[in-house]
Amino acid sequence: MAEETYPINLWVNEERLEKLQAAGLAGMCKEVLAGLKVLAVPNTAEQRDKILKLFTMAKFDTATTKSIELLPKFVKDKIFDLVVARKKIDVMDEFLSKFEQTGDAFWSQQIA
Amino acid sequence: MENIGHGGKEIVERILPKDAAIKRVNEMRAAKAKELDVRLQIATEVIDIAYGFFSPLEGFMTKADVDAVCDNMTLADGKTVWAIPIVFDMSDEDLKKSGIKQNDEVLLTYTSNPFAVFEVSDIFTLDKQDMAQKVYGTTDEKHPGVKRTYQYQDKFIGGKITLLNPPKINEPFTRFWLTPKQMRERFKEKGWEMIINHQTRNVPHTGHEWLMKGAYLGAYGSMMVDKPRGGILVNAIIGSKREGDYIDEAIILCQEAQGKHGYFRDDIFLTTCSLWDMRYAGPREAVFHACLRTNLGCTHHMFGRDHAGVGSYYDPYDAHRIFDKLPKGSLNITPIFNLDWWFCPVCDEVTYMGVCGHKDKKASFSGTMIRSIIQDGVKPPRRIFRPEVFDMIMECAEKYGFGDAFVTEDYLKRRNPVFTIEPLK
Ligand SMILES: [Zn+2]
Repeated sequence: MAEETYPINLWVNEERLEKLQAAGLAGMCKEVLAGLKVLAVPNTAEQRDKILKLFTMAKFDTATTKSIELLPKFVKDKIFDLVVARKKIDVMDEFLSKFEQTGDAFWSQQIA
Repeated sequence: MENIGHGGKEIVERILPKDAAIKRVNEMRAAKAKELDVRLQIATEVIDIAYGFFSPLEGFMTKADVDAVCDNMTLADGKTVWAIPIVFDMSDEDLKKSGIKQNDEVLLTYTSNPFAVFEVSDIFTLDKQDMAQKVYGTTDEKHPGVKRTYQYQDKFIGGKITLLNPPKINEPFTRFWLTPKQMRERFKEKGWEMIINHQTRNVPHTGHEWLMKGAYLGAYGSMMVDKPRGGILVNAIIGSKREGDYIDEAIILCQEAQGKHGYFRDDIFLTTCSLWDMRYAGPREAVFHACLRTNLGCTHHMFGRDHAGVGSYYDPYDAHRIFDKLPKGSLNITPIFNLDWWFCPVCDEVTYMGVCGHKDKKASFSGTMIRSIIQDGVKPPRRIFRPEVFDMIMECAEKYGFGDAFVTEDYLKRRNPVFTIEPLK
């Protein structure tokens, strides 16, 4: 994995934690705020640029969180589903190619 | 003279009673007075002027006032502190077409309904770039205040305003709308001698909550505790929005929720709103906020890190330092300066930069981070974010935000207006 990971922060509530536990990924969560857990999905610089181009509302927050922010909930939900289905956090290549292939239909598709 | 506002003058209130207003409109129309329909931006400030939010201003600024504000941060009298120009702009073409000239009385309408009388006393031009540099410290049009300045038309009109037709404040803002005189009445009813203003355009997390609590404890000082002799006024700024801001409805209802659910005692806490388009002028806007809240009757005003700033145009504490540069006695409100609050995993609490000695272990929660959490629909721990406040955000997103707690294009297009001007009858 590249040194700089330009993460997408997926915030983890109990419902998400259960799914991550089932996928054996609960240990990848980091506690950041008074017990609040976050799962950082890594991106390379190239993936980051692609995301910012595909989702124009998104920004890379250099000032505070140092992560890709302002992605809509349905996008982040889909990334989370993919993480759980593939039992790994390196899912952005698949995510991006699926979205590029299927476009907006991707959001309503089940992950096979 | 008990309602003394900023500048040591009685709170301005320039409103005609309904019967007199109807008569005035009829007279003006019979005399073929010029009429001008104003946009929301101007209508908002007409209301602010007429109710005395901008006391001692009685109207839109003349050139002498604007120049003094830009050059010396005072009005044209050379002593009343004022930091932001309040101007009425018009295109050269429209001005010519309207035939408006000095000493005219113009009937202003809003959404085509009679609204206010504008006594034209000055028509002038301004160097917008120079104004931007002096007010905002930059001429960069990416700065939202500078952008607004550049968007002004080329001609400016100064003169007094008299409101003919009070705004109808729409739900859910109705109960939060108090004029300066009404606010002072409310403080009197509550028996408050000390009123700390908290300026906000945010949904509160516990960092904000603790800022307010810290300010309250600090300012309460040696007053007797037999009954609440002071309180916190959350005065939310409701005005022009940028995409990504919290929606107005969430701001006001979530602020109120802090009191409703006991995080502040009901008798020391009041949530209201004022109409103002944020200029993001950092230090100068801090001074403006101090004047505004003096008019509301507040005795203290909190100023946080990067108060009213945007991007990296200002040092985070410029908005504190500017108060040192004002002549003594020129403001009738005491600033309370805040450093940062953060969550400390060692203290295991939200704590204050000026107190906690675990700086290297701190977990700051920036607005961006909180926003990221909220957008995921994940309820943060109660030490970070009160669950009732979180529930209220989600409710507001559904009820007012077309599914989003943050301003979207959709919201800007379809939202219910904060106020309307109805037919005058
Ligand atoms: Zn500590």
